[in-house]
Amino acid sequence: MTKRIRSKIARGSGELATLSLLAEQPLYGFEIARQIGERTGGALQFTLASLYPLLYEMEKRGWVEGHWQANHAGRDRRYYRLTSAGRKQLAPLKQEWRSFFQALDSLAGVSHA
Amino acid sequence: MPEPVKPDWTKLVRERLGEMRSCNQDVVTELAAHLEEVYEEACARRSNETEAMRFALEQVDDWQVLGAEIARAKSEEDSMDHRTKIVLLPAIAIMFAVGLVLLFLDRAEILQRLVWIACMALLLYAAASEANRLNLRTRAVWLPGFVSLIAASLFMFAEEIVLAHDASFYFTDISLRPGHLISGLPRWFYMLWLIAQVLCGALGAFLSRRGGGTRVARLAAGTFPALVMFLVCGFVIPVSAFFYEHNTLVLSHPSRLALGILIWAAVPAVAMLVGAAPFLKEAKLQQA
Repeated sequence: MTKRIRSKIARGSGELATLSLLAEQPLYGFEIARQIGERTGGALQFTLASLYPLLYEMEKRGWVEGHWQANHAGRDRRYYRLTSAGRKQLAPLKQEWRSFFQALDSLAGVSHA
Repeated sequence: MPEPVKPDWTKLVRERLGEMRSCNQDVVTELAAHLEEVYEEACARRSNETEAMRFALEQVDDWQVLGAEIARAKSEEDSMDHRTKIVLLPAIAIMFAVGLVLLFLDRAEILQRLVWIACMALLLYAAASEANRLNLRTRAVWLPGFVSLIAASLFMFAEEIVLAHDASFYFTDISLRPGHLISGLPRWFYMLWLIAQVLCGALGAFLSRRGGGTRVARLAAGTFPALVMFLVCGFVIPVSAFFYEHNTLVLSHPSRLALGILIWAAVPAVAMLVGAAPFLKEAKLQQA
């Protein structure tokens, strides 16, 4: 498993990680946290405390939209889907992180490969 | 073998988030569902309810902080109210500065009191109207800390008025002649003020906790007046005495200065800690 990234760094990447996942399909909170953990090999891990303020903040900005829906087990879950405003945010956000990694790379030899 | 009782996650989340206004039923239900899934997933992997429960609860370090962050995320406005930013905060800053200058110059005692009272009223008004919009540190440390400091100062002024003496008489008298502490009015003045510090510590820590402050933030807000007094006695008075007043008495008697710090900072800090103590604990987990 990849070494877990410290919470402050991980938290900064929360918007991009969440929007990227939701661009694929609507997900509910627990599933978002689980998929981020799995797909980054455990390097990024979002707890309840770090995830929901972020989701509510993005919902307030109109980037995501939440709606209640029963999952396959019949339980009510609040699914989040990306809005068109959120989709528009994704490209510049990716570009911002690319620039960030390039800047770090030239400064400290941190490759973003 | 009887099946173990499942935790009531909704009840647990509601109790832990307390009275946060923005955490409505939808938020409680959503967070409870999340914890439930974490718990069930952990149960499936670990097959030990206690361990799974602990694992689920580790999702949140501090429920007060989480509640405050959710409240902020859900609040309609990100930025501070225009009136607060343009009118209240500058007015508070100016009055606070004027109050400090008058205090250090030892001038216009009645005006000083009026300035502090007005400053406190405005601060409380600003805090009440902006609590959800301010950043966590301001909401949980600075505002409660200043409210606690002003309350501590007001207690002192009120006592001086009741005892019908010049402002700062007792403060100066006790600082320069600590022997006066053991007899007469100075003793009553000090003891009553000390008891009031318990309330000030409680007030600061309570407001900090309500604002989502961590334990350290609550501690800082609760003991803020003592920290300020420590700076005044340990730094402002010696610097002022040396550079401006050329008063060698203070500098040639460091033991008196140390005693002043003990009387006006260390002992009150203990009193404030006593008051703040009930608000330093996390809300107890009720058996779910």
